[in-house]
Amino acid sequence: MASVVFQHVVKKFGAFTAVSDLNLEVRDKKLLVLLGPSGCGKTTTMRMVAGLEEVTAGDIFIGSDRVNGVLPKYRDVAMVFQSYALYPHLSVADNIGYPLKIRKVPEDKRRRMIMEVARRVELDGLLDRLPKQLSGGQRQRVALARAIIRTPKVFLMDEPLSNLDAKLRVQMRAELKHLQHELQVTTIYVTHDQIEAMTLADRVAVMNKGVIEQLGTPREIYNDPRTLFVAGFIGSPPMNLIDGEVKDGVFTSPGGIRVDGLGSASVARAVLGVRPEDIHVIPAGGAKANIAAPIYSVELTGESTLVTVRAGAALLAVRADKNFAGDYDQIVQVGFSPERAFVFDRQSQERVDF
Amino acid sequence: MAHRRKSIEIQRVAAYATIAVALVVTLFPVYWIAANSFKYDIDIFSIPPQWIPANPTLKHYRAAFIERPFLIYALNSLIIAVSTTLVSVVFGSLAGYALARFQYPGRWRYQISFWILSTRMMPPIVTIIPLYIAFNHLGMLNTKPAVIIAYTAFNLPFATWMMKSYFQDLPVELEEAAMVDGDTRLGAFLHVALPLARPGLAATAIFCLIISWNEFLLALILTLTERSQTLPIGIAGRVTQYNTYWGEISAAGFTACIPIVIFAFVVQKHLVRGISFGAVKG
Repeated sequence: MASVVFQHVVKKFGAFTAVSDLNLEVRDKKLLVLLGPSGCGKTTTMRMVAGLEEVTAGDIFIGSDRVNGVLPKYRDVAMVFQSYALYPHLSVADNIGYPLKIRKVPEDKRRRMIMEVARRVELDGLLDRLPKQLSGGQRQRVALARAIIRTPKVFLMDEPLSNLDAKLRVQMRAELKHLQHELQVTTIYVTHDQIEAMTLADRVAVMNKGVIEQLGTPREIYNDPRTLFVAGFIGSPPMNLIDGEVKDGVFTSPGGIRVDGLGSASVARAVLGVRPEDIHVIPAGGAKANIAAPIYSVELTGESTLVTVRAGAALLAVRADKNFAGDYDQIVQVGFSPERAFVFDRQSQERVDF
Repeated sequence: MAHRRKSIEIQRVAAYATIAVALVVTLFPVYWIAANSFKYDIDIFSIPPQWIPANPTLKHYRAAFIERPFLIYALNSLIIAVSTTLVSVVFGSLAGYALARFQYPGRWRYQISFWILSTRMMPPIVTIIPLYIAFNHLGMLNTKPAVIIAYTAFNLPFATWMMKSYFQDLPVELEEAAMVDGDTRLGAFLHVALPLARPGLAATAIFCLIISWNEFLLALILTLTERSQTLPIGIAGRVTQYNTYWGEISAAGFTACIPIVIFAFVVQKHLVRGISFGAVKG
């Protein structure tokens, strides 16, 4: 078991900087999710831990060992690839047992361990098959089994669920979480899916353009986004972000939205952020509406109704009651309390506290 | 509907007719050599041509393989072709893998690849005099190693390029997975990349084998006697100042085809996959 520490890590590909001055600690036995859009440097960061990419500058420690320049085989990490990277010419059993075979574990002991791991991920009975004879979910399990057959210091998972269909993904997500809890192995998990990040992580590092925008627990990231990027990236549907102006604690947008009670803040180019579930449809005649706007669309999701209204040029998503009924272009009043709103500075992309 | 069915039939007939023509063009010379090898000299030139040997004889086979040293030529050919193929495939795989996978500064990957290929751009005859002088100084004229070295020089660039493209088609994550699982780079190459590149190995091997088995020009200059002379040289030697021994030429020529055909059948499964390897991903 070990923690993973990045100190001032930089990775450049030619003139392109993939990761710039990364400082991060992945705590022992915890699961850290690197979350961000494609090209943000999250996979590169993980590959540097595996030893598949060399750092351009800075240090990476696994436990107390500085691993710069150390070959992957000596780092004692296990990785699950997005494509699973199963050896196509080897059977399921040989795929799972490969790390042991390389380490010259005796045949009979290897057999036993393969059986044990296969049972754990419900692959027993498929051990003689080739990867191409397996379904996507089964391949995923083989990749997982190959990673957990030895107990490495660190698990690295590179979007392991992204090639599965939606239903299987939810199921495997729960299994992964359970497995990590059971094995107590430090894990770095890369994904661009914020739901995966929220559900799996002990801590989330939201990355964008090679830097960590915010590091925190899923709850902190969700409830207390420090930058405009984090606010827009986390949440489904995403946070409403409305451009406008804040003057002496009053936000006004060109679309006619007005919010009072934002302290004494003044921001010339401000962005108001408010999550769909914090906005309410207010019955006609009710008080404290922030805007009256025509309905753009109504989507029933089951446990609630997602109502989108037109606020000038912008669209505002509102999470309404599942019994909400409304027609296109019908005018509704929507409102939210200013405590649930965030103000960001468009210039600096940072949040403005009020 | 009837119209469409008819046009499909016409297409099918046209396709088979084309295949038939192609088969006749390619296979008739082989058949003619085979037929002539079993005919008496007088029948080889008979007019109208004797399509099927009327009085089959093994006379020419006896002449070539018992009275003349064609068995030795064949053995020389075998040693030279197999050695060349082995050396080319082994080093071609290693070089091709290095070119496919390793990091190079700037455009060096391209530069090195092009430089390797450029050795094939001049006609082989250009190199004959320098090679002759070099081997003469080394005292290696008329030896099998000299021919093997010369052939390898011509086959290795080709093998390198073939193997490079096969390795480039393999997903790099497989080797990365092997390295994270505890392999070295060489281990990942031997345990993962090489087994997956088997079709490429087969295709490269058969091309090298055919080229060295059939090569004539270099062998003609570098060899003098049956110590190192190969089948093509032996066969050409039956065109003499006074007579051309068509029967012996046919017998030896037909025999020379057989090992390659057998080898092609053995690796055929890999070969077809090898040739279409890059076309269909997955």
